[in-house]
Amino acid sequence: MSKKVLVVDDDPDVRTFIVTVLEENNFTPIVAQDGVEGLQKIEEENPDLVTLDVLMPRGSGIRLYRKLKTDPSLKNIPVIMLTGITLKSFLRSQKTLSEFQGEKVPVPDFYLEKPVEPEELIDAINESLKG
Amino acid sequence: MKIKKLLFVTKFEDLCYNSLNSLLDLTKASLEHVVFLNVIEKEKVAMHRGAGYIKEEEVKLKETANIRFIDWAENLFELGLEVGAHINVGSLIPEILKTIETEKPDLIVIGRSHKGPLEQLYSRSDVTELIRRISIPVLVFKHMNEDNIVPDKPFRKPLLATNWSDSSINAAEYINDLKELIDEVNVMYVTNEKQLKSKSTHKVQKIRKQERAKLDELCDTFEDNGIKTRAHVYVGDPEKEIIKAAKEYQASMIVLGSSSRTSIIERWMGSITRTIADKSIYPCLLIPSNKKEASK
Repeated sequence: MSKKVLVVDDDPDVRTFIVTVLEENNFTPIVAQDGVEGLQKIEEENPDLVTLDVLMPRGSGIRLYRKLKTDPSLKNIPVIMLTGITLKSFLRSQKTLSEFQGEKVPVPDFYLEKPVEPEELIDAINESLKG
Repeated sequence: MKIKKLLFVTKFEDLCYNSLNSLLDLTKASLEHVVFLNVIEKEKVAMHRGAGYIKEEEVKLKETANIRFIDWAENLFELGLEVGAHINVGSLIPEILKTIETEKPDLIVIGRSHKGPLEQLYSRSDVTELIRRISIPVLVFKHMNEDNIVPDKPFRKPLLATNWSDSSINAAEYINDLKELIDEVNVMYVTNEKQLKSKSTHKVQKIRKQERAKLDELCDTFEDNGIKTRAHVYVGDPEKEIIKAAKEYQASMIVLGSSSRTSIIERWMGSITRTIADKSIYPCLLIPSNKKEASK
Protein backbone atom coordinates (compact mmCIF):
# COMPACT_ATOMS: atom_id res chain seq x y z
CA MET A 1 0.00 0.00 0.00
CA SER A 2 1.34 3.40 -0.94
CA LYS A 3 2.44 5.78 1.79
CA LYS A 4 0.32 8.81 2.60
CA VAL A 5 2.11 12.15 2.45
CA LEU A 6 0.44 15.31 3.72
CA VAL A 7 1.51 18.47 1.90
CA VAL A 8 0.89 21.61 3.97
CA ASP A 9 1.46 24.71 1.87
CA ASP A 10 -0.59 27.82 1.13
CA ASP A 11 0.75 28.24 -2.41
CA PRO A 12 -1.47 26.33 -4.86
CA ASP A 13 1.34 26.12 -7.43
CA VAL A 14 3.65 24.51 -4.88
CA ARG A 15 0.93 22.08 -3.79
CA THR A 16 0.29 21.08 -7.39
CA PHE A 17 4.01 20.57 -8.01
CA ILE A 18 4.51 18.41 -4.94
CA VAL A 19 1.34 16.40 -5.52
CA THR A 20 2.49 15.65 -9.07
CA VAL A 21 5.93 14.56 -7.87
CA LEU A 22 4.37 12.37 -5.18
CA GLU A 23 1.90 10.72 -7.53
CA GLU A 24 4.62 10.01 -10.06
CA ASN A 25 6.54 8.24 -7.32
CA ASN A 26 3.63 6.14 -6.05
CA PHE A 27 2.82 8.08 -2.91
CA THR A 28 -0.70 9.10 -1.93
CA PRO A 29 -0.79 12.86 -1.48
CA ILE A 30 -3.16 14.71 0.83
CA VAL A 31 -3.16 18.52 0.91
CA ALA A 32 -3.80 21.26 3.42
CA GLN A 33 -3.45 24.98 2.83
CA ASP A 34 -2.49 26.29 6.25
CA GLY A 35 -1.36 25.21 9.68
CA VAL A 36 -4.86 24.86 11.09
CA GLU A 37 -6.08 22.66 8.25
CA GLY A 38 -2.75 20.82 8.39
CA LEU A 39 -3.28 19.75 11.98
CA GLN A 40 -6.85 18.75 11.24
CA LYS A 41 -5.70 16.55 8.31
CA ILE A 42 -2.94 14.99 10.40
CA GLU A 43 -5.47 13.98 13.04
CA GLU A 44 -8.00 12.72 10.50
CA GLU A 45 -5.72 11.04 7.96
CA ASN A 46 -2.81 9.86 10.07
CA PRO A 47 -0.22 10.45 7.27
CA ASP A 48 3.09 8.60 7.09
CA LEU A 49 4.99 11.85 6.47
CA VAL A 50 4.33 15.59 6.36
CA THR A 51 5.93 18.24 4.14
CA LEU A 52 5.49 21.55 5.86
CA ASP A 53 5.77 25.16 4.73
CA VAL A 54 6.45 27.82 7.37
CA LEU A 55 4.85 31.13 6.37
CA MET A 56 1.15 30.50 5.83
CA PRO A 57 -2.19 32.08 6.72
CA ARG A 58 -3.84 31.10 10.01
CA GLY A 59 -1.28 28.79 11.66
CA SER A 60 2.39 28.85 10.68
CA GLY A 61 4.63 25.82 10.13
CA ILE A 62 6.73 26.91 13.11
CA ARG A 63 3.83 26.34 15.51
CA LEU A 64 2.52 23.25 13.71
CA TYR A 65 5.96 21.65 13.78
CA ARG A 66 6.14 22.36 17.48
CA LYS A 67 2.70 20.93 18.06
CA LEU A 68 3.64 17.75 16.20
CA LYS A 69 6.91 17.23 18.00
CA THR A 70 5.49 17.84 21.47
CA ASP A 71 2.41 15.65 21.07
CA PRO A 72 3.22 12.06 22.09
CA SER A 73 0.73 10.63 19.59
CA LEU A 74 2.12 12.64 16.65
CA LYS A 75 5.79 13.11 17.38
CA ASN A 76 6.92 10.06 15.40
CA ILE A 77 5.52 11.34 12.11
CA PRO A 78 8.54 12.39 10.02
CA VAL A 79 8.42 16.04 8.96
CA ILE A 80 10.21 17.59 6.00
CA MET A 81 10.26 21.36 6.16
CA LEU A 82 9.86 22.83 2.70
CA THR A 83 9.98 26.60 2.88
CA GLY A 84 11.52 29.93 1.92
CA ILE A 85 12.41 30.65 5.55
CA THR A 86 16.05 29.86 6.27
CA LEU A 87 17.02 26.97 8.57
CA LYS A 88 18.95 29.41 10.73
CA SER A 89 15.85 31.49 11.30
CA PHE A 90 13.71 28.40 11.90
CA LEU A 91 16.11 27.13 14.56
CA ARG A 92 16.31 30.53 16.24
CA SER A 93 12.52 30.72 16.34
CA GLN A 94 12.26 27.29 17.89
CA LYS A 95 14.93 28.25 20.42
CA THR A 96 12.98 31.36 21.42
CA LEU A 97 9.76 29.37 21.76
CA SER A 98 11.57 26.67 23.73
CA GLU A 99 12.74 29.35 26.15
CA PHE A 100 9.17 30.69 26.52
CA GLN A 101 7.52 27.32 26.79
CA GLY A 102 10.26 25.36 28.50
CA GLU A 103 10.04 22.48 26.06
CA LYS A 104 12.64 21.70 23.38
CA VAL A 105 11.79 20.19 20.03
CA PRO A 106 14.13 18.11 17.82
CA VAL A 107 15.42 19.44 14.51
CA PRO A 108 13.35 18.37 11.47
CA ASP A 109 14.30 15.23 9.57
CA PHE A 110 15.00 17.34 6.50
CA TYR A 111 14.97 21.06 5.91
CA LEU A 112 14.63 21.95 2.23
CA GLU A 113 14.62 25.53 1.03
CA LYS A 114 12.32 26.39 -1.86
CA PRO A 115 12.49 25.83 -4.74
CA VAL A 116 13.21 22.13 -4.49
CA GLU A 117 14.03 19.68 -7.27
CA PRO A 118 11.79 16.59 -7.57
CA GLU A 119 14.72 14.18 -6.97
CA GLU A 120 15.82 16.08 -3.88
CA LEU A 121 12.30 15.89 -2.45
CA ILE A 122 11.83 12.20 -3.22
CA ASP A 123 15.25 11.35 -1.77
CA ALA A 124 14.36 13.23 1.43
CA ILE A 125 10.98 11.48 1.67
CA ASN A 126 12.47 8.02 1.10
CA GLU A 127 15.23 8.68 3.59
CA SER A 128 12.78 9.96 6.25
CA LEU A 129 10.45 6.98 5.81
CA LYS A 130 13.35 4.54 6.25
CA GLY A 131 14.02 5.84 9.74
CA MET B 1 -9.69 44.55 24.53
CA LYS B 2 -6.31 42.92 24.20
CA ILE B 3 -4.38 43.19 20.95
CA LYS B 4 -3.26 39.61 20.46
CA LYS B 5 -3.44 39.49 16.68
CA LEU B 6 -2.55 42.31 14.34
CA LEU B 7 -3.35 42.49 10.63
CA PHE B 8 -0.73 44.55 8.82
CA VAL B 9 -1.99 45.65 5.41
CA THR B 10 0.85 46.82 3.21
CA LYS B 11 1.44 47.90 -0.35
CA PHE B 12 5.19 48.10 0.47
CA GLU B 13 5.34 51.60 -0.94
CA ASP B 14 4.00 53.06 2.29
CA LEU B 15 4.03 50.67 5.24
CA CYS B 16 7.30 48.82 5.47
CA TYR B 17 9.31 46.98 8.08
CA ASN B 18 10.19 50.16 9.98
CA SER B 19 6.48 50.80 10.60
CA LEU B 20 5.93 47.21 11.61
CA ASN B 21 8.97 47.28 13.84
CA SER B 22 7.67 50.32 15.69
CA LEU B 23 4.50 48.37 16.50
CA LEU B 24 6.38 45.49 18.06
CA ASP B 25 6.22 47.40 21.32
CA LEU B 26 2.76 45.82 21.47
CA THR B 27 4.39 42.56 22.51
CA LYS B 28 4.78 44.21 25.94
CA ALA B 29 1.00 44.32 26.11
CA SER B 30 -0.36 41.14 24.53
CA LEU B 31 0.66 40.87 20.89
CA GLU B 32 1.31 37.25 19.86
CA HIS B 33 0.46 37.02 16.20
CA VAL B 34 1.13 39.25 13.19
CA VAL B 35 -0.57 38.64 9.86
CA PHE B 36 0.65 40.37 6.71
CA LEU B 37 -1.67 41.19 3.85
CA ASN B 38 -0.60 42.44 0.45
CA VAL B 39 -3.34 43.07 -2.07
CA ILE B 40 -2.29 43.17 -5.68
CA GLU B 41 -4.80 45.44 -7.37
CA LYS B 42 -6.44 43.36 -10.08
CA GLU B 43 -5.99 46.15 -12.63
CA LYS B 44 -2.28 45.39 -12.49
CA VAL B 45 -2.67 41.85 -13.73
CA ALA B 46 -5.98 41.55 -15.50
CA MET B 47 -7.69 42.38 -18.72
CA HIS B 48 -5.19 44.48 -20.60
CA ARG B 49 -6.36 44.99 -24.14
CA GLY B 50 -5.01 42.21 -26.31
CA ALA B 51 -3.25 40.53 -23.40
CA GLY B 52 -6.08 39.25 -21.16
CA TYR B 53 -4.95 38.06 -17.76
CA ILE B 54 -1.23 38.56 -17.29
CA LYS B 55 -0.25 35.48 -15.30
CA GLU B 56 3.47 36.33 -15.46
CA GLU B 57 2.80 39.71 -13.87
CA GLU B 58 0.78 38.07 -11.08
CA VAL B 59 3.59 35.58 -10.39
CA LYS B 60 6.16 38.37 -10.36
CA LEU B 61 4.15 40.57 -7.99
CA LYS B 62 3.26 37.68 -5.70
CA GLU B 63 6.84 36.48 -5.49
CA THR B 64 8.09 40.01 -4.86
CA ALA B 65 5.65 40.31 -1.96
CA ASN B 66 6.52 36.83 -0.74
CA ILE B 67 10.23 37.64 -0.63
CA ARG B 68 9.53 40.75 1.46
CA PHE B 69 7.20 38.88 3.80
CA ILE B 70 9.68 36.03 4.30
CA ASP B 71 12.32 38.57 5.28
CA TRP B 72 10.00 40.29 7.76
CA ALA B 73 8.61 37.01 9.06
CA GLU B 74 12.08 35.68 9.88
CA ASN B 75 12.62 38.62 12.22
CA LEU B 76 9.27 38.18 13.91
CA PHE B 77 9.51 34.39 14.21
CA GLU B 78 12.85 34.83 15.93
CA LEU B 79 11.13 37.06 18.51
CA GLY B 80 8.79 34.18 19.25
CA LEU B 81 5.81 35.72 17.45
CA GLU B 82 3.41 33.73 15.32
CA VAL B 83 3.33 35.08 11.77
CA GLY B 84 1.04 34.57 8.80
CA ALA B 85 0.82 36.04 5.33
CA HIS B 86 -1.78 36.56 2.65
CA ILE B 87 -0.95 37.75 -0.85
CA ASN B 88 -4.17 38.19 -2.78
CA VAL B 89 -5.18 39.60 -6.12
CA GLY B 90 -8.31 41.73 -5.91
CA SER B 91 -9.65 45.00 -4.57
CA LEU B 92 -8.24 46.31 -1.33
CA ILE B 93 -11.28 46.55 0.91
CA PRO B 94 -12.96 43.26 -0.08
CA GLU B 95 -9.64 41.45 0.37
CA ILE B 96 -9.13 43.02 3.80
CA LEU B 97 -12.64 41.95 4.78
CA LYS B 98 -11.97 38.40 3.59
CA THR B 99 -8.75 38.25 5.57
CA ILE B 100 -10.49 39.60 8.67
CA GLU B 101 -13.03 36.82 8.32
CA THR B 102 -10.26 34.18 8.18
CA GLU B 103 -7.84 35.60 10.70
CA LYS B 104 -10.07 37.47 13.17
CA PRO B 105 -7.50 40.13 14.12
CA ASP B 106 -7.85 42.52 17.07
CA LEU B 107 -6.24 45.48 15.29
CA ILE B 108 -5.86 46.41 11.64
CA VAL B 109 -2.93 48.53 10.55
CA ILE B 110 -3.30 50.28 7.23
CA GLY B 111 -1.57 53.15 5.43
CA ARG B 112 -3.34 56.36 4.65
CA SER B 113 -5.67 56.42 1.69
CA HIS B 114 -4.02 57.07 -1.64
CA LYS B 115 -7.21 57.97 -3.43
CA GLY B 116 -7.45 61.48 -4.81
CA PRO B 117 -10.12 63.95 -3.60
CA LEU B 118 -12.42 63.31 -6.56
CA GLU B 119 -12.10 59.54 -6.24
CA GLN B 120 -12.84 59.81 -2.50
CA LEU B 121 -15.89 61.90 -3.17
CA TYR B 122 -17.54 59.10 -5.11
CA SER B 123 -16.03 55.98 -3.61
CA ARG B 124 -14.95 57.14 -0.11
CA SER B 125 -11.41 56.75 1.16
CA ASP B 126 -10.14 53.27 1.97
CA VAL B 127 -10.11 54.16 5.65
CA THR B 128 -13.71 55.41 5.66
CA GLU B 129 -14.83 52.38 3.73
CA LEU B 130 -13.08 50.07 6.15
CA ILE B 131 -14.44 51.77 9.26
CA ARG B 132 -17.93 51.60 7.83
CA ARG B 133 -17.75 47.87 7.36
CA ILE B 134 -15.97 46.54 10.40
CA SER B 135 -16.09 46.87 14.17
CA ILE B 136 -12.40 46.35 14.83
CA PRO B 137 -9.95 49.14 15.77
CA VAL B 138 -7.97 50.50 12.84
CA LEU B 139 -4.57 52.12 13.11
CA VAL B 140 -3.92 54.40 10.15
CA PHE B 141 -0.16 54.41 10.15
CA LYS B 142 1.70 57.11 8.31
CA HIS B 143 4.71 56.35 6.18
CA MET B 144 8.02 58.02 6.74
CA ASN B 145 7.85 61.40 5.09
CA GLU B 146 10.14 64.38 4.78
CA ASP B 147 9.22 65.45 8.30
CA ASN B 148 10.49 62.12 9.58
CA ILE B 149 7.64 62.34 12.06
CA VAL B 150 6.66 58.67 12.37
CA PRO B 151 7.49 57.89 15.97
CA ASP B 152 9.55 54.91 17.03
CA LYS B 153 6.95 54.08 19.65
CA PRO B 154 3.56 55.27 18.47
CA PHE B 155 1.75 54.21 21.63
CA ARG B 156 4.10 56.14 23.92
CA LYS B 157 2.23 59.44 23.99
CA PRO B 158 -1.26 59.24 22.50
CA LEU B 159 -3.64 62.16 22.25
CA LEU B 160 -7.19 61.04 22.92
CA ALA B 161 -9.70 63.43 21.37
CA THR B 162 -13.08 62.73 22.89
CA ASN B 163 -16.54 63.95 21.95
CA TRP B 164 -18.15 61.81 24.66
CA SER B 165 -19.63 59.41 22.09
CA ASP B 166 -19.81 55.68 22.85
CA SER B 167 -16.84 55.10 20.61
CA SER B 168 -14.82 57.80 22.41
CA ILE B 169 -15.56 56.14 25.73
CA ASN B 170 -14.51 52.85 24.21
CA ALA B 171 -11.30 54.48 22.97
CA ALA B 172 -10.47 55.51 26.54
CA GLU B 173 -10.95 51.93 27.73
CA TYR B 174 -8.76 50.72 24.89
CA ILE B 175 -5.94 53.04 25.93
CA ASN B 176 -6.23 51.86 29.50
CA ASP B 177 -5.57 48.31 28.30
CA LEU B 178 -2.29 49.45 26.71
CA LYS B 179 -0.80 50.95 29.83
CA GLU B 180 2.45 49.01 29.53
CA LEU B 181 3.26 51.00 26.39
CA ILE B 182 2.18 54.46 27.46
CA ASP B 183 4.25 57.18 29.09
CA GLU B 184 1.53 59.83 29.10
CA VAL B 185 -1.93 60.38 27.64
CA ASN B 186 -3.20 63.81 26.66
CA VAL B 187 -6.97 63.94 26.67
CA MET B 188 -8.81 66.74 24.90
CA TYR B 189 -12.26 67.99 24.11
CA VAL B 190 -12.98 70.62 21.47
CA THR B 191 -15.76 73.05 22.29
CA ASN B 192 -17.58 74.53 19.37
CA GLU B 193 -17.15 78.29 19.12
CA LYS B 194 -20.93 78.69 18.73
CA GLN B 195 -21.42 77.25 22.22
CA LEU B 196 -19.33 80.06 23.62
CA LYS B 197 -21.31 82.88 22.05
CA SER B 198 -22.86 84.59 25.04
CA LYS B 199 -23.06 88.05 26.49
CA SER B 200 -22.08 86.66 29.83
CA THR B 201 -18.48 85.71 30.60
CA HIS B 202 -19.86 83.61 33.40
CA LYS B 203 -21.74 81.33 30.97
CA VAL B 204 -18.70 80.84 28.78
CA GLN B 205 -16.52 80.03 31.77
CA LYS B 206 -19.17 77.63 33.03
CA ILE B 207 -19.07 75.65 29.79
CA ARG B 208 -15.30 75.41 29.93
CA LYS B 209 -15.46 74.38 33.59
CA GLN B 210 -18.06 71.67 32.89
CA GLU B 211 -16.06 70.18 30.04
CA ARG B 212 -12.87 70.34 32.05
CA ALA B 213 -14.56 68.55 34.96
CA LYS B 214 -15.73 65.78 32.64
CA LEU B 215 -12.22 65.46 31.24
CA ASP B 216 -10.75 65.33 34.73
CA GLU B 217 -13.13 62.53 35.58
CA LEU B 218 -11.93 60.63 32.51
CA CYS B 219 -8.32 61.38 33.42
CA ASP B 220 -8.91 59.86 36.86
CA THR B 221 -9.67 56.52 35.21
CA PHE B 222 -6.24 56.65 33.56
CA GLU B 223 -4.47 57.85 36.69
CA ASP B 224 -6.12 55.09 38.74
CA ASN B 225 -4.62 52.66 36.26
CA GLY B 226 -1.16 54.20 36.69
CA ILE B 227 -1.11 56.22 33.44
CA LYS B 228 0.07 59.83 33.62
CA THR B 229 -2.57 62.06 32.07
CA ARG B 230 -3.21 65.69 31.14
CA ALA B 231 -6.55 67.22 30.16
CA HIS B 232 -7.10 70.04 27.67
CA VAL B 233 -10.13 71.97 26.48
CA TYR B 234 -9.74 73.59 23.06
CA VAL B 235 -12.12 75.87 21.21
CA GLY B 236 -12.82 75.95 17.49
CA ASP B 237 -12.88 73.64 14.51
CA PRO B 238 -12.31 70.10 15.83
CA GLU B 239 -10.13 69.03 12.89
CA LYS B 240 -7.74 71.93 13.26
CA GLU B 241 -7.75 71.94 17.05
CA ILE B 242 -7.04 68.22 17.37
CA ILE B 243 -4.05 68.50 15.06
CA LYS B 244 -2.93 71.64 16.87
CA ALA B 245 -3.09 69.84 20.22
CA ALA B 246 -1.18 66.87 18.78
CA LYS B 247 1.61 69.24 17.75
CA GLU B 248 1.60 71.24 20.99
CA TYR B 249 1.84 68.17 23.17
CA GLN B 250 4.10 66.22 20.80
CA ALA B 251 1.68 63.35 20.52
CA SER B 252 2.92 60.09 19.09
CA MET B 253 -0.54 59.30 17.72
CA ILE B 254 -4.11 60.58 17.71
CA VAL B 255 -6.80 58.32 19.12
CA LEU B 256 -10.37 58.89 18.01
CA GLY B 257 -13.66 57.11 18.40
CA SER B 258 -14.94 56.08 15.00
CA SER B 259 -18.48 55.90 13.80
CA SER B 260 -19.75 53.50 11.20
CA ARG B 261 -22.31 56.04 10.06
CA THR B 262 -21.92 57.03 6.45
CA SER B 263 -24.55 59.53 5.64
CA ILE B 264 -24.59 61.36 2.33
CA ILE B 265 -23.55 64.50 4.18
CA GLU B 266 -20.53 62.76 5.63
CA ARG B 267 -19.53 61.49 2.23
CA TRP B 268 -19.72 64.91 0.65
CA MET B 269 -18.48 67.04 3.49
CA GLY B 270 -16.06 64.61 5.06
CA SER B 271 -15.98 63.48 8.67
CA ILE B 272 -13.53 64.70 11.28
CA THR B 273 -12.23 61.18 11.76
CA ARG B 274 -11.66 60.65 8.07
CA THR B 275 -9.98 63.98 7.56
CA ILE B 276 -7.63 63.53 10.47
CA ALA B 277 -6.91 59.91 9.61
CA ASP B 278 -6.24 60.64 5.95
CA LYS B 279 -4.62 64.05 6.09
CA SER B 280 -2.82 64.58 9.38
CA ILE B 281 0.79 63.57 9.70
CA TYR B 282 0.05 61.56 12.84
CA PRO B 283 -0.74 57.88 13.07
CA CYS B 284 -4.43 57.64 13.99
CA LEU B 285 -5.98 54.91 16.04
CA LEU B 286 -9.70 54.70 15.29
CA ILE B 287 -11.77 52.84 17.84
CA PRO B 288 -15.32 51.80 17.04
CA SER B 289 -18.14 51.71 19.51
CA ASN B 290 -18.98 48.45 21.27
CA LYS B 291 -22.60 49.16 20.50
CA LYS B 292 -23.95 48.32 17.06
CA GLU B 293 -24.64 51.52 15.17
CA ALA B 294 -27.18 51.55 12.42
CA SER B 295 -25.63 52.14 9.04
CA LYS B 296 -27.35 54.98 7.27
